[in-house]
Amino acid sequence: MIILHIARKELLRSLRDTRTFMFMLAFPIVLMLILGTALTNAFTTSLTFDDLKLAYKLEDPESQASGYWNEFAKSIEQNGVLVTPLSADEDGKKAVKNGEYAAFAEIKNDGIEFYGSNKLTVESDILQGMVSAFANRYSLAAAGAKQDPASLETLLSEAGSGTYVKETSLQGDTVPDSMDYYAMAMSTMIAFYACMSASQLIRGEKVRNTALRLAAAPISKAELFAGKVIACTLINFLCVIVVVAVSRFAFGANWGDHYGPILIVLFTEVLLAVSLGLGASYLFSGEGGSSAVMTFTQIASFTGGAYFPVNDMTGFWAILAKISPLWWANDALTKIIYSDEVQALWPAVLFNVIFAALFLSLSILFMRRKEAL
Amino acid sequence: MNVLNIRNVTKTFGDFAAVDNMSLSVREGEIFGFLGANGAGKSTTIHMVSSLLKATKGEIEVLGKNIAKHPRFAKSNIGIVPQDLAIYEQLTAYENVQFFAGLYGLRGSLLKERTEEALEFVGLGDKAKSFPKSFSGGMKRRLNIACAIAHRPKLIIMDEPTVGIDPHSRNYILQSVLKLNEMGCTIIYTSHYMEEVEEICTRIAIVDHGKIIAEGTKEQLKSIVTDTKEIWIGVRSESNISVEKLKNVPGVVSVRIEDGQIKLQSKAEVNNLNEVIQQLIQDNADIRSVEEQAPNLESVFLTLTGRNLRD
Repeated sequence: MIILHIARKELLRSLRDTRTFMFMLAFPIVLMLILGTALTNAFTTSLTFDDLKLAYKLEDPESQASGYWNEFAKSIEQNGVLVTPLSADEDGKKAVKNGEYAAFAEIKNDGIEFYGSNKLTVESDILQGMVSAFANRYSLAAAGAKQDPASLETLLSEAGSGTYVKETSLQGDTVPDSMDYYAMAMSTMIAFYACMSASQLIRGEKVRNTALRLAAAPISKAELFAGKVIACTLINFLCVIVVVAVSRFAFGANWGDHYGPILIVLFTEVLLAVSLGLGASYLFSGEGGSSAVMTFTQIASFTGGAYFPVNDMTGFWAILAKISPLWWANDALTKIIYSDEVQALWPAVLFNVIFAALFLSLSILFMRRKEAL
Repeated sequence: MNVLNIRNVTKTFGDFAAVDNMSLSVREGEIFGFLGANGAGKSTTIHMVSSLLKATKGEIEVLGKNIAKHPRFAKSNIGIVPQDLAIYEQLTAYENVQFFAGLYGLRGSLLKERTEEALEFVGLGDKAKSFPKSFSGGMKRRLNIACAIAHRPKLIIMDEPTVGIDPHSRNYILQSVLKLNEMGCTIIYTSHYMEEVEEICTRIAIVDHGKIIAEGTKEQLKSIVTDTKEIWIGVRSESNISVEKLKNVPGVVSVRIEDGQIKLQSKAEVNNLNEVIQQLIQDNADIRSVEEQAPNLESVFLTLTGRNLRD
């Protein structure tokens, strides 16, 4: 009962500490908005470009190959490629160099010569793929025609169906865009920020002189400790829930379908942060605890992926990233949200709970040694 | 019956003895003045009585029970008014009192009743829903007291409860202390203001270097001082007066200047008034009045400790 009495007071006090409370809410939301908007291109997997311009020249307009090329040209025009025939006196290569076309193809009886632009590389590569597909199909058809002339028609008749361009993506549809990523990263970051308020739980009472009254009251240190930890965990978890809700409903961030496991990961991360903050406040005297916690939080946020994705890091930086509690949480959430791997919550939850227990035990040990608070 | 017994208590911090083999008793119904300069050992003693610190040696009893063996019993019967304000700015006056009273096990309607009672007692009944940031220094001090009395402790420890407040609030607090005492509370009162201690305390202990150097009623303490006298000389201009020259007058023990008055302490057997006045005339002080004061607690303290309480 006394624990709830203490927790109630802590909750009231924290909720009315509008400056700190607003910081805990506004900071991640604003940062999410800024980074999520500003770094949109860094996360996108699609490219947009203007019309693909392909120039070509036929060595022998009457040849069979030229006939099929014309079919092919019509086909790719339907896919948005601007195909332009050049006259005999026009220099296709020069036109490509001047940027008038992305590529130039010269269709000869013995093959196709292709010149791609070194400025419009993406467009040139796409056109090269299309022309190669045509050339391969034509070669195949020509080889097949020696055995069965009817197959030539069958193979090349598909030219009009647009099968020269086939998109194959190595990534699934559920890849986080910038807002999705920062919604997750800011939520795990603000969950970890709980350690800063936790480092002030006991120190704050000393600064306010209320520590003396609390120590003089007929309550045990354990009751006081439990009340404060419960309240601090709840209030910080509430902040995390608000940040998640805002990111989901105001910014449309993708949090997947497994809200239960996601909230469990975030809750245990808050618990870990609170325990860490408390432990630090006992390990370091005076303001040392808060400073140490502040520094560690910033480093852990930076290396754990709060400001940019760190999954592609290698070597030393990868090791540094993986010892950040934020990385555990981000990794688990990514798997839960984008791969539906609900069981990925367990490593993160286990890490969080084990370290939380360790830091809480340390705090209790130090607290018992002290005469007052 | 003694509400508090301190027997041969010592508290050391490393090699330093903040309290050195101290013994004293506070009887039920007393307002017990606890005087000492900064660092004399009074706060350490108060903290030991409140179970905030453990005595290195000796024993302390509250209402007949050893506090080392029954800390919860002792704590439940003590209310502490700390020297520094100990309230939460984010809680209303009502919530502050309610929270601290709740730590003593009060719940429900009893908690509500006692909270309202404590706020009424300190004159903040109409400010129950206000936050301390809107309070004056005196009102905050009164709230500080309300937080300590709502659970109706038998022993209230007040550590300089009137520091830095206006005369009106100070008077209100002193009257509250007397009223609490009438209601049956025993009070331990520390202050730097001798006149407050003289006004309200029934018995006084003077502590210096961790030891009780004198204990008794005001009259008993004043009777200790027979070898010094205090002379107050009123002057119109104090700017040219040389304190050093006055101190060099034979027999003069100390000199201080307060509000146009030169307050001299001198050995009682030395007749040096003429020399003092002569020195003041040389310094062009326009003398208005000369009077010899009866011994007071200030002079007692000075005689016993060799320094002023506010040093």
